[in-house]
Amino acid sequence: MPHWSLLTPEETTALWLSFRVSFVAAWLGLPVAIAIGYFLARTRFPGKWLVETAIDLPLVLPPVVTGYLLLVLFSTSGPLGGPLESWFGVKIVFTWLAAALAALVVSFPLMVRAIRLAFQGVDPRLELAARSLGANRIATFATVSLPLAGRGVIAGWMLAFARSLGEFGATIMVAGNIEGRTRTIPLAIYTFANRPGGGMSDCWRLVGLSIVLGAAALVASELLERRQMRHES
Amino acid sequence: MSLSFRCRHSYPGGFVLDATLETNHRVTAVFGPSGSGKTTLLGLIAGFLRPQQGRIVLDDRLLVDTPSGLVLPPEKRQIGYVFQEHLLFPHLTVEGNLRYGQRHRRGGRPMVWERVVEVLEIGPLLCRYPKSLSGGERQRVALGRALLSGPRLLLMDEPLASLDAPLKARILAYLDRIVAQWEIPTLFVTHSQAEVRRLAQWVVVLDAGRIVTAGSPDDALSRPEPLGWKNATGPRNLLRLDDVQFGNDETLGHVGSQAIHMPPLPAPAAMPVFVEFSPADVTLSRQDIPGLSARNHLQGRVCRLVELDQAVFVAVDIGQILWAEVTPQAAAELQLASGVEVTCLLKAHSLQVVG
Repeated sequence: MPHWSLLTPEETTALWLSFRVSFVAAWLGLPVAIAIGYFLARTRFPGKWLVETAIDLPLVLPPVVTGYLLLVLFSTSGPLGGPLESWFGVKIVFTWLAAALAALVVSFPLMVRAIRLAFQGVDPRLELAARSLGANRIATFATVSLPLAGRGVIAGWMLAFARSLGEFGATIMVAGNIEGRTRTIPLAIYTFANRPGGGMSDCWRLVGLSIVLGAAALVASELLERRQMRHES
Repeated sequence: MSLSFRCRHSYPGGFVLDATLETNHRVTAVFGPSGSGKTTLLGLIAGFLRPQQGRIVLDDRLLVDTPSGLVLPPEKRQIGYVFQEHLLFPHLTVEGNLRYGQRHRRGGRPMVWERVVEVLEIGPLLCRYPKSLSGGERQRVALGRALLSGPRLLLMDEPLASLDAPLKARILAYLDRIVAQWEIPTLFVTHSQAEVRRLAQWVVVLDAGRIVTAGSPDDALSRPEPLGWKNATGPRNLLRLDDVQFGNDETLGHVGSQAIHMPPLPAPAAMPVFVEFSPADVTLSRQDIPGLSARNHLQGRVCRLVELDQAVFVAVDIGQILWAEVTPQAAAELQLASGVEVTCLLKAHSLQVVG
């Protein structure tokens, strides 16, 4: 592909792998984030702060620590990794799935935050109106709450996707740095930079690409959230 | 339709609604000042709120019975709710909003789409989004949406409060049409006496979370308790006349032993007879002055003074409560106070007979 001749084959591989990992992470997180975001936006209960803290923890934890915990949980002898391998034959650690898992956990708090905010912006009385018209809870959610929070939900997805593209610390712990399998853009940059003999100058294309992708995702999610606000008024 | 409501609901802030009401009238008003619990009452009937204790029965259906743990969710109650702020779905067109109610209808009466659109004159608005509608248009769409869900009971929260006077008259006309067309039992809350009188056959007066009184509007609103004076337009007078004699020169009625003179009337069939007049038409005097053109001189005792804006409303007990509106200066000059004997002067022509 001539277009991608801007990048070396190694860089192209890292780019596509990053996209795949981030897509999977963002899509897997989305339904859970919608459920939790809606729940947090609409309920009050004692100990809510504890739940919120648990969800937000990966935001402040060193990603390496997150990665370490994932490694312990999902290694073939771990409490989750063991059953997964013996029952389903799925091996997670040091595969691209582990990179997706790391990206999911680290980006999840951002997604929940954006989605929760979006649901908080939907007047709960609109849901009451829908219920009084005969729609049950699920129908109300699907036809009123979710469409009205839609832009915020997409914004949350994009934020999570962008964060996943940049995930490094947890990924290298749980997925390793295997070329063609788990070497995403950040890992590739790290690897290039450490190569003896002018490695630093090989990084600039991927560095530039990362900045462009991240900025695009931020701008897009910001625009979506602003349009959401206008929609509400 | 019969609605039987007995609920107790308390908020963490301390407000308690503890009310019992029964109605089997076509249009029932819940009347009271803001903060009296009117919207809470509607929310309990609609199922938006869960009472701590209560029992609500609509026709033969038990909606709420806390002792047995029954609290039907709103979608199973078939009760239409028109919100004060209309709450149209902003992401749907007017047609989408209307179809929403129709699509989720659960039994109840089937409503003909074309009739609803025609009666409420929504046709030209169908393709528009709620954001681009005026207040009156939104109100009509909200009404149509609720109607199309085929409700057994229609609840309206201050249906006219957010509208200006000319618009109010038009929406009132639509409400009249709805009542005439579909005979859907309606319960609405309001803080306006005029709306109660104009629309309702039965009124429940609510204050501070309790039912103060209930009855026909003419009856309930003429008692001193209903706090009608909290409304900016002040109270309206409505006297119930006994022993009415229809003469050629004048009509004569009685409040207790006091005679009320009215212009001649073609003998009305409906008894009892009520006369209505504005408190501003009443002149107060400390002595009964002879030789005045005013035909009615009613003796009474002041039982209450309410200052409102630039006026003082004086409740005089003449056997029934009669309100007079005087200026603060006049009230001071006459030294009006509770227990003072006064004469109320009224022209025969300021009296309007209502059936």
